[in-house]
Order: sequence, then structure tokens, then C-alpha cells
Amino acid sequence: MKWLRKPWPDHRAERTLGAVSLLVGVVVLGMIAFVGVRAWPIFAHNGLSWLGSGGSLQTQLANMQATSVNPPAAAFHLRAWPLVYGTLLSTGFAVVLGVAIAVLSSIFIVELAPARLRRVAIPVIRLLASVPSVIYGLIGVLVFVPFVGNHLITASQKASVQSTVELTGAGLGVVVVILTVMITPIMIALICEALLSTPRSWREGAVALGLNPLRAVLAVTLRAIRPAIVAAAVLATARALGEAVMISMASGGSFFTPSLSHGVPIFLFEPFRTLASAIIDFNEGIGAPALSATLYAFAALLLFSAFVLSIAGYLIKLPLRKYQVRA
Amino acid sequence: MNQHRRLRLRLAIAVAAVGVLGAAAAPTIALAAPTISISGATASYPLVSLLAQKYVKLKRGTVKFKIAQGGAQIGINDVASSRVSIGDVSRDPLPTDPKGLVFYPIAKYGICVVTNKSNTLGSLTPSQLVSIFTGKTRNWSQVPGASASGTIDLISRTSVAGVLTSFQTLLLEGKKVSSLASEQSSEGLLRQAVESDPSSIGFLSNYQAALGSLNSVSYNGVACNRSTVASGSYAGIARFYEVTRGPAQSFVASFISWITKSAAAHKIIESQWVPITG
Amino acid sequence: MSVYAPDLDTRPRPSSGRGRRSSPWTWRWGDRLVLLCAWAAGLGLCLIAAAIVLYMGYRGIEYLRPGLLFARPAISTSQSHTGGILDPLIGTLLLTAIGIALAFPLAVASAIWIAEYGRPSWLARIVESSIEIVAGTPDIVLALFGVAIFQLGILAPLSFRAEGGGVYGRSFIAAGAMMSLIALPPLFVATRDGLRAVPTHMREAAFALGKTRIATIRRVLLPSVRSNIATGVTLGVSRIIGDTAIVVLLLGKTLHIETQGSVPAINLLRGTGSTLTSYVYDNSPAGEGAAPQKAYAAAFVLLLFVLALNLLVDKIGSGSLTSSV
Repeated sequence: MKWLRKPWPDHRAERTLGAVSLLVGVVVLGMIAFVGVRAWPIFAHNGLSWLGSGGSLQTQLANMQATSVNPPAAAFHLRAWPLVYGTLLSTGFAVVLGVAIAVLSSIFIVELAPARLRRVAIPVIRLLASVPSVIYGLIGVLVFVPFVGNHLITASQKASVQSTVELTGAGLGVVVVILTVMITPIMIALICEALLSTPRSWREGAVALGLNPLRAVLAVTLRAIRPAIVAAAVLATARALGEAVMISMASGGSFFTPSLSHGVPIFLFEPFRTLASAIIDFNEGIGAPALSATLYAFAALLLFSAFVLSIAGYLIKLPLRKYQVRA
Repeated sequence: MNQHRRLRLRLAIAVAAVGVLGAAAAPTIALAAPTISISGATASYPLVSLLAQKYVKLKRGTVKFKIAQGGAQIGINDVASSRVSIGDVSRDPLPTDPKGLVFYPIAKYGICVVTNKSNTLGSLTPSQLVSIFTGKTRNWSQVPGASASGTIDLISRTSVAGVLTSFQTLLLEGKKVSSLASEQSSEGLLRQAVESDPSSIGFLSNYQAALGSLNSVSYNGVACNRSTVASGSYAGIARFYEVTRGPAQSFVASFISWITKSAAAHKIIESQWVPITG
Repeated sequence: MSVYAPDLDTRPRPSSGRGRRSSPWTWRWGDRLVLLCAWAAGLGLCLIAAAIVLYMGYRGIEYLRPGLLFARPAISTSQSHTGGILDPLIGTLLLTAIGIALAFPLAVASAIWIAEYGRPSWLARIVESSIEIVAGTPDIVLALFGVAIFQLGILAPLSFRAEGGGVYGRSFIAAGAMMSLIALPPLFVATRDGLRAVPTHMREAAFALGKTRIATIRRVLLPSVRSNIATGVTLGVSRIIGDTAIVVLLLGKTLHIETQGSVPAINLLRGTGSTLTSYVYDNSPAGEGAAPQKAYAAAFVLLLFVLALNLLVDKIGSGSLTSSV
């Protein structure tokens, strides 16, 4: 027992702590391995073309369910483009909107708000960031969807697409709005920090040259923190990609691909599905091997994207060190 | 020295506690209350939950249940891969079902066509129903007797639903529901969708149709409710099955035979559904 | 990557006299538009947050009766007899406890190792990157990973075996293990940043007195980063409480907390149950849609938890500002 009571020598402590830390690395490796192995049948059968389109995704997934425990090779046929498209659409719109709103809000918080409002705004932003996604989804599906369905979608709009899709209010528009509200607070935190870290002298120099204070911020500080904005956007993209619960609740759950050819308001009302929301929608079907492999393939794609975004974020923040901007 | 003794004492107590727990755990793990895991149809979930609740009370806690849903096909897949002990299924066995499954019928139910309460559609003929659900008729103005207007919103179930398969076989003359229909993953969701959309039409088990404030549509002039299902006059009568992999064993078999034979179970089934007689 | 809001300098600025600050009325139209948009964005977000809290509060008060908090949920064919939310509430607390208990040693040990030792450097980079990868992984992927792991035969004692040999794979310990991965990054980052912020003169003083590195960590550094660790734990807790995907896939979604086996504490860990989040999901129009009122009530309780945790983070944060290191 003596070795437990006496203070440990440094090398033993270092090795123990190092081993525990390595455990995290092992877990991550395990995650990549398990997800990859389980997803392999889909890649083996389809190559990378399972990301493309072809045939009805609905029938393909139904087939996977129906072939149950001993699926023939043909059951692994998958063309999941509607899901990839839905993911790109929702994430793309939400990030673009979110960056604009986040930059404007950060400027507001750091530069424009009076001190009392600023003291209110910071906890508010933190609160928005920590509201669980299931609450966002609940408000989306119980408030926004009926509102859009009953008040914004006109009967003629419904009738004009009645042979291709049903408009119920749950769809791209609602999801993009809620997703933007979810990811903006994350970006605000990063951009505010970056704004605060740029040297005051730069802005004061601009003001001395005759720019008004707001223009000084826009012209000088904003340009300087461009890498921070991109890093924030990358972080927000990772968050938006992985959002499953809220989208599952408010997107209308359909394999339809919203198309711009229907005109803009209708485009925003059309239902869709993303990779993450498909995983949670079909999670009970994991008993069928073909469907299980499909879900893991989706997860592998999400994992890969998160990985790529992580590396991108790291590379983007490198130039920040040049300006000694903390981000 | 005092510290050493205290530490050694604490360590000894800890080891002894773990040892006692482990020794106690080993045999008791074997004697643990058996758990019956069930998954499958959302249509039979209320019935099976009530039956399980009653069975646990009768057996005074010596049996436990874990009931999940997911749809009839999920139940079949799960029981075929041994993830659960019993699968709830709301359709008749199909030739594509895995081999080796045993279907035990436990109740009859009716599949009702429903519309929103504001739509006072009285009855539909088989051909009208087929043309609506296959997407040929798209507007309420083309349906005589309907007080709704505008585009028909078809609300259907996802492909794993047994009720969908039964509906297609029994009431749609074997045709498939149009892919335009919005797919809900459970009966409750389908009911909610129809309740909130004045121009919608869908199909539910008779229990769910009676639950909400919906307009139940007669099929060929025959109303859809528990008594017409019991008398056999309604066309859309399907069965709930409990499915096991191979013939049911031990406590699973006792549960299933309790459902099919005991008076208490019959009373529960009779409240909203129709027991299988004979 | 720090995701908490910055500590802003709110001291009164030295006044530059009236008329020195340029008035917006003299600006170009484009600048005025940007000014308007910035104000709109900032105020808009505040209003949205207020709207969410007020609406959930309104609905929650409408549907939440104190009795619901202590009544067990029940299966019933009629809406009004579906009972309360006691089991989901206990489930949330239990899952949070398991998640933090598993994450705490892992996170703190890793943070200490990275901040204080960190040799060889390639290993340190691997560990930091791993934690960043875990932080960036969507929770649904972690949940699927959990499903894959806990259905292995070796881990059958952590849930139970169905008739016929399949491993059920869903239990509190399964969900708790994945929740600990969710709570790991905030706790790690908070502890590591706290340790890095401790000025080196404290370490040097301890070394000058003859203490080994591990002894300084244990006796000097860790006590001084207590508030950082507390902040990290609170952030981790709020992430665990709000997570739905892992619960939906890994907790078995039984209405009551069902124990598994008969060893007193372990049967709870091996058992299944539900949490507030999965209860809200199941009762909303996305799950079974059975009881939107109960969904609102449970969501309101959840929001109260989150608000309380946020207040706690604020208090701990301000506490550390006043205590000098």
C-alpha cells in the first residue's frame, strides 16, 4: 500500500496521465473503425455513387427493410442524393444567413450597444446557444409549421404542385430559419472575441483619417478578422450538419428534392430530409442489415465531413496567429 | 503509521464490498426476472401495452416488459435477428418474410378511412377510394359528397407499417398508395396530421379513428367501427399478430397463451378491438 | 475553441465630450443601413430568446402542474390519464450523473497531461486533435457508434440478452458512456485553459520549495482552477441535458425506468428508461404525437434546468474574476 500513499514520482504520474489521455485517442480511433466497418457493405456494393441519384430512395430503403435478415446483394443498392442535397441546402442557407446575422450582431454587441444592453445581450446569446435542439424542434413543429401551413401557403400554390409534392408547412423555410437561430450564437461568441482582440490603434487610425466609427470597424477590423469569421462559419457548419432532432421534427420528412423550378416561395415550402435526420427517422430499422449499413454509411459521411471541417478550421486559424488575434 | 493502517482498512473494506456484491451478483444474475422485449406495429402498441401492464400486475412483478414500436416490418426484422423476443405485427404474413417465424393472431381490428372533421364525406366506393389514394383524383371537387375544397392531401404511413400493407391489400384492391402521399411513421402522427389539415385524407385502425375528432368515412356504405368489425360486415378487417422466432418458449409462451386464452385479456381486447374466436 | 461569450470591458469609457462622436445623421446611406441592420440583428436575437423563453413559459405554466413532477408516466388509452413526468426527470438526472462521472476523470487527467507535461509532442497533438474531433462529431454519429459497440457480445452484461441470443444493447450505462463523450470537450477545454492561465510564478515557487511536478499539480494548481473545472462541468451538464439523439438510440425508451437484473445499483445502470428530451420528442408530433401538452410541460422543465445552469455558469464565471490568482 505504500506506493499508493506516498507522493508519486513524476515519471509514473506522467505515464499514467498520458495513458488516460491516450484513451480518448483510442476511443476516437474505435469510433472511426466501428462506423467504417459497419458502413463498408454500402461502399463495397455501390462505390461512391451511392451519393448520386438514381431511382427512388423511398423504394430502396423500403426494400432494405423488407429483405430483413438475409438481404441479397441487390438490396444494398443505394442512391442517396436527395438526402445529400437536403443536407447541402439546409446547411448552406443556414450558414450564409447565420454569418451575416452573426457579424451584424457582433458589431452591435461590441461597438454599438450601450453598456446596459450589452450586459443583457451576452447572457442572452449564451442562453440561445444552450437551448436544447428538441425545444427548438418542438416550437418549430407546433408553432411555425401550422403557421406556415395555414397562413403562408395559399391554396393555389398547393394546387400548382399537387402532382409532384404535398405542401404542409413543414419544409425548407422553417428548418432554415430555426437552424440559423441555432447556429448564430456559436458564431457570435467567436467573432466577438476576435473583434475585441484587434488592436484599438487600427480603428483609431481609421477614425483619425476621417472615417466614421462604424465605417472604421467595417473597413478595418472586419477585414482583419476575416479568418475568424471563416473559422466561426466552419464551426457553425459542423453544428448544422449534425443537427438531427430539430430537422427530423420540422422538415416534413420526405425524400423529395426541393427544386427552384417551382418558384421561390414554393421552393421554401417543400419538404425534404437530411442525412442526420434520416438516421434518426430510420433508427428503429437497424435490425435489417442492409438498412443498418446504410445508416452507418450516412454516419461515416457525417464523420468525414466533421473531420474535414475540423482540419479546415485549424488551417484557417493559422493566419490569425500572425495578427495575434485570439480566436 | 496510523495513516497507513487507516488506508489499508479502507482498501480492505472496499475490496470486501466489491467481493460481496460480485458473489451476490453471480447467482442472482441467473435468477433475474425475465424480460420480454417487444417491438413492432404502432397500431397494436396500445393494445399490447395494456396487456403487458395487466400481465405484470397478475404475475406480481416476476416478469418485465420492454415495448418499443417502429412499425410491423421493424418488429419482424427485430425478432428475426433475435434483437427482441416478440414482434408486434399488424398484417398477415407475407411470402417475403424470413423463414422460421411463427405468427400468433391475438385480435382483429378494422382499417378506417378518415378525413378532417370539417370534411363531411359520408361514403366512398372502392373505385373512388382507389383513384384518390393512387393519385388519380387530386381535387376534392371531383369527389361527390365531400365538403372540403382544394387539393387532396394524402396522408399515408411509411413502408414499414403493417397497417399500410393491410390497407393496400384489403381496401385498395392490392394497388399501392401514391408516392405523393406524406408518410407518417406512426398512427398517432397520421391522426394528428389529419386532425390539423382540413383537406387531408388518411387511414387508421378503428381504435385511433375513434380516438380523435375525425370524420370516419364509410366504405361501400358500411361504417367503420368496432361493431361492424366484430360482425364481419366491414371489408377492411385485419389481424394483430405476436410473432416469435420459432415456436414460443417458456415465459414468452405463457404470455402469448395468456393473451389468447384468459378472460382478463379478452376483456382488454374487447374494449376497443375484437378478440379472435376459434 | 472557446465558445462561451467573451468577458467584455464594461467600464465607463472616458468621455470624449459632446459633439466629438460623429452622429449617424452625417453618415452615408450605406453606413446608416448597416447601422440599422446591426441594431436589428442584435435586438432581434434578444427578442427571439425572450420569445422562446416566454412562449415555453406560457405553455409550460398552462400545462405543468406540480403534481406532474412527482407522478409516474402511465400507459393509457385516454390523454388525461397519461400520468406525469417523474421517470423522465429521474432519467435525466441519472444520465447526467453517469455522463459526468465518466467524463470527469478522463477530461481532467487529459487536460493536466496536456497542460503540464505534453511530451512527446506528437502524442499531445494526437490527444488534442482527438478531443477536437469528438467535439465536432454530431451526436447522432456518437449514438450510432454506441449502438455498434454495445451490441457486441462482450458488453452484453451492460444491457441484457433477448431470447434467442441477440444483445439488446440499450441501457443507462450505454447512453451514459456516450454522454460522457459529449461532456468531455467542454470540461477538457475549461480545465486546460484554466491551467494555462495560472501564472508560472506559482509553479516556480512550488518547485523552489522542493515539490515534484505532480505534487504541485495536486496541491497548488488544481485547487486554483476549481472554478474553471466547475464551469466546465456545468457546460458539460447542460450539453448532456439537452441531448436527444443519444437518448433516443441508446436508452431503450421505456416509459418507466425498468431495472435489469437484481443487483441493487447495477440493475439500474443496466436498465432502460427515458429522459425529458426523449419524452418531449416522443410526445411531440415527431414521435408518437400522443400528448403535446405533456411535451410542453416537460420541455418547460427542461428549459428551466438550462436557465438555471446558465445562471450557474455566470455566477461561477464572475466569481473567478474577483478572486485573484
